[in-house]
Amino acid sequence: MSTNERSLVSRFAMEIATGCATLVAGIVVVLGAIEYETGWDEGGPQPGYFPFYVGLIIIAASLGVLGQAFLNHRRSREAFVTREGFARVMAFFLPLAAFTVGSYVLGLYVGTFVYLAGVMIFQGGYRWPFALAVAGGITGFFFVLFERWFQVPLLKGPLEALLGIY
Amino acid sequence: MENIASLMHGFGVALTMHHVLLMMLGVLLGILVGVLPGLGAPNGVTLLMPLTFSMDPISAIILLTSMYWGALFGGSTTSILFNIPGEPSSVATTFDGHPMAKQGRATEALTYAFLSAGFGALVGVVLITVLSSWVAKFALRFSSPEFFAVYFLAFASFIGLGGSSPFKTVISIMLGFAFTAVGMDTVSGSLRLTYGIDELIRGISFLVAVIGLFGIGELLLTMEEGLRFDGVKARVSPRKVFETLLTLPRYWVTLLRSAAIGCWMGITPGGPTAASFMSYGLAKRFARRREGFGKGREEGVIAPETADHAAGSSAILPMLALGIPGSATAAVMMGGLMIWGLTPGPMLFIEQKDFVWGLIASMYLGNVVAVVLVLATVPFFAAILRVPFAIIGPVILVICVSGAYTVAGASFDLWLVLIFGVVGYVFKKLDYPIAPMVLAMVLGDKAEDAFRQSAIMSGGDLSIFWSNGLVATIMALGVLLLVWPLLSLVVQRLRPSRDVGATTA
Repeated sequence: MSTNERSLVSRFAMEIATGCATLVAGIVVVLGAIEYETGWDEGGPQPGYFPFYVGLIIIAASLGVLGQAFLNHRRSREAFVTREGFARVMAFFLPLAAFTVGSYVLGLYVGTFVYLAGVMIFQGGYRWPFALAVAGGITGFFFVLFERWFQVPLLKGPLEALLGIY
Repeated sequence: MENIASLMHGFGVALTMHHVLLMMLGVLLGILVGVLPGLGAPNGVTLLMPLTFSMDPISAIILLTSMYWGALFGGSTTSILFNIPGEPSSVATTFDGHPMAKQGRATEALTYAFLSAGFGALVGVVLITVLSSWVAKFALRFSSPEFFAVYFLAFASFIGLGGSSPFKTVISIMLGFAFTAVGMDTVSGSLRLTYGIDELIRGISFLVAVIGLFGIGELLLTMEEGLRFDGVKARVSPRKVFETLLTLPRYWVTLLRSAAIGCWMGITPGGPTAASFMSYGLAKRFARRREGFGKGREEGVIAPETADHAAGSSAILPMLALGIPGSATAAVMMGGLMIWGLTPGPMLFIEQKDFVWGLIASMYLGNVVAVVLVLATVPFFAAILRVPFAIIGPVILVICVSGAYTVAGASFDLWLVLIFGVVGYVFKKLDYPIAPMVLAMVLGDKAEDAFRQSAIMSGGDLSIFWSNGLVATIMALGVLLLVWPLLSLVVQRLRPSRDVGATTA
């Protein structure tokens, strides 16, 4: 990582945040496990037994990670992500998130077309006729690939219903 | 030699037109996912898996394993030409491979890489041929406690031998176990860890997790680093390939040592990535002339490539014979076997002879096909990387997300894959190992079943895990590996700090 890029989040902060997140995950697993019996009966361990201890081990290991973070990363100025790096990740991740939401509502094919065309026009700087043609071609290829060749239907939305493609 | 007879029978199964075509298709798809950043062997195989559910198991496994070989080869192509490892396991190949390419020796570097990789893979397959039925016969003596002990050993070796913090490895493994526990409990039928969310009753598929963790996580990482392809032009002339081939025997010591390291790391769950780094490190340490490493030494390409592929292919052995995959990709394939209704483990060798030996025979053929195809298609795949990333990147993402949907046809998985993607990105940046999580998700139910059955056998007495020599030995090894990080810490404290860093390989 080049030195002239400014740090946005430090490695130390991220170690702590992730340690806390896994700690919470461990607690959630334990809470889920104690909905069932976590002990033993004549048939061996009961359903909650395994997840209960898995959760406890996650909690213990998370505490270990938190401890190590204080020992190893407290004083280091190592960055988890720089501003520039974060901007690049977000430029990729936000359209992806929008694509996921869009596909959930409109179906994967419409989502794919809009996403590909959008990224090409707004991020790639392509002219829109070219972008629409490429996005349309790729979407069409996927349609044939999944629906016809492999016979694996993808998620459809209102447009396909309107056109009667099912 | 009954193994030879079985192998010949296997060739009879594998050598049909249909299967050879599948092999070529698999290898080409594999090279493609190996070349594309963010799509590696584990999630390439994962993406293809739902499309094989309707095929017969032999064709399906031939397609998937061929893809695996192809991906391993494709990863080295980009390492050498673009200095971008297409696969984590080909990172070590960039050290000397790319400098060689920059000096105008791209053909040489590629030829060394592919041929030594082919050699490594072949050694791995020979090892499987010789050992598999013996291991399987040995494993027939196993019952539930022994199986649990072997699973324990596998996970303990991740903790003991993994490079990262043992706490992080434990978290990764245990999260994997927690994910498999979600949904219907196989023993009692109760719905665990669903928190009233209906979509979780089906459980969390390891395939969706792999696509998110490896695919989207990797892409986010690639984007952050700011991707630039300034590659070296590659034209592969057959004459140069042949000349390089003739010089290869000169490096027989490196080849053999690296193959041995690879086989060892593949059978134990060290995996190809660790194998390639270790092999590179040892090649450097044992070299008569140490200078020149990192600047384009032939051994620097041969060592990691041989070990990488030897590990990749020998990782199939424990998967078939014991039901414990030696790499993340093998874990995915093992999950596939279970979906096709085959139970990996010693019984497979008795009940599914055609399948097992057909697969092993296809590994010989597949690797030969892969070496030829990869040499022939280098310019083509190098050209693919010149397509602007503003097009390729989103297309890869669409494939990942669509692939996650095809696993179960559930739109809930679209969210899951996104979440796993973010987790994969953060975990990778903080050095949480991801392969153990995948392994835990594949083995979780089997490990829990083995534990519960053992407990039922003994009436709840945990001493069953020390009740005979076999199980006690495996457990003891596991415990030893588990406390290994602690032991080495103590040893380091006691010893003067003169040779720190000597064990970084």
